[in-house]
Amino acid sequence: MKRKSEAILLAGIIVALIILAPFASSNPDGLERVAESLNVEEHKPFWKGIMPDYSLENVSNPYISTLAGGLVGIFLVLALTFLIGKTVSK
Amino acid sequence: MELHIPDGCLDIPICILMYIISLSVLAFCWKKAKNEFQSKFSSTLAVLSSLVFVAQMLNFPIVGGTSGHLVGGTFLATIFGPYITALSMTIVLLIQAIFFADGGITTFGANIFNMAIIGAFSYYLVKLLSGRNPSTKRFLASVFATSWLSIVLGAFACALEIGFSQAFPAGITITIPAMLFWHVIIGIGEGAITTPLVSAIMHIQPALPAIQFSWRAPDS
Repeated sequence: MKRKSEAILLAGIIVALIILAPFASSNPDGLERVAESLNVEEHKPFWKGIMPDYSLENVSNPYISTLAGGLVGIFLVLALTFLIGKTVSK
Repeated sequence: MELHIPDGCLDIPICILMYIISLSVLAFCWKKAKNEFQSKFSSTLAVLSSLVFVAQMLNFPIVGGTSGHLVGGTFLATIFGPYITALSMTIVLLIQAIFFADGGITTFGANIFNMAIIGAFSYYLVKLLSGRNPSTKRFLASVFATSWLSIVLGAFACALEIGFSQAFPAGITITIPAMLFWHVIIGIGEGAITTPLVSAIMHIQPALPAIQFSWRAPDS
């Protein structure tokens, strides 16, 4: 893909995150829905993650918090998948 | 979260078994990708993988009080082929597990299998359904059907893993129908998002590796 279309696409992904972050559904997902209907209680996880539920603990605004989580995630995925592409094709 | 199994839902032997299976398949994928993946596609891979990451974050509501989100395995596989896709999807899952506690650490092997590996190898179904020199319509219909099935199969694998675990209070006779019921519906969302995405990428850059294989089907 041309560098320019990649840059546009990446900008589009970030814009989509900015617009759609507040609309993210809080309904339980498929597996959670099944667990709920079977009355399975959620275990206390032993690993809480650095940003659990895609948000920063000390940021009170949920929108800003989700956005920050998303941006960090985008950066990490970009860096690591690029690295794996370069490494595997060496 | 969708299919991301949290810690505590699977028995340790099942966790270990799924780690062994998934890491073996990934090692195989690494070898194959070494011969196949071209360095110049690395930046495209990175951008489309981050698209998958964002799409996984954003849940869409589904009738019946549940929600789903794109998993994206079939999407990446249709564009890049199965091997590098399995590796790239694993990176996405790894970041979700370590940074966002989305999916457990002990269950990570199972999650790689259910989403990264099933998604990546769904590539061969796209190819099979497309046949030789498919029309755009047939190719995209194959992408739709395959992305739906990749979710249903992932849910089925997940149902087996939790159903056979004593840690999860329900057996397979309950988990299989329950997981299939919801994911037959959720899978439609996967197809509805994957198909226009693939179509858009085909228009932006038709020369990407696996799309080209799909069109010419040189080694089938």
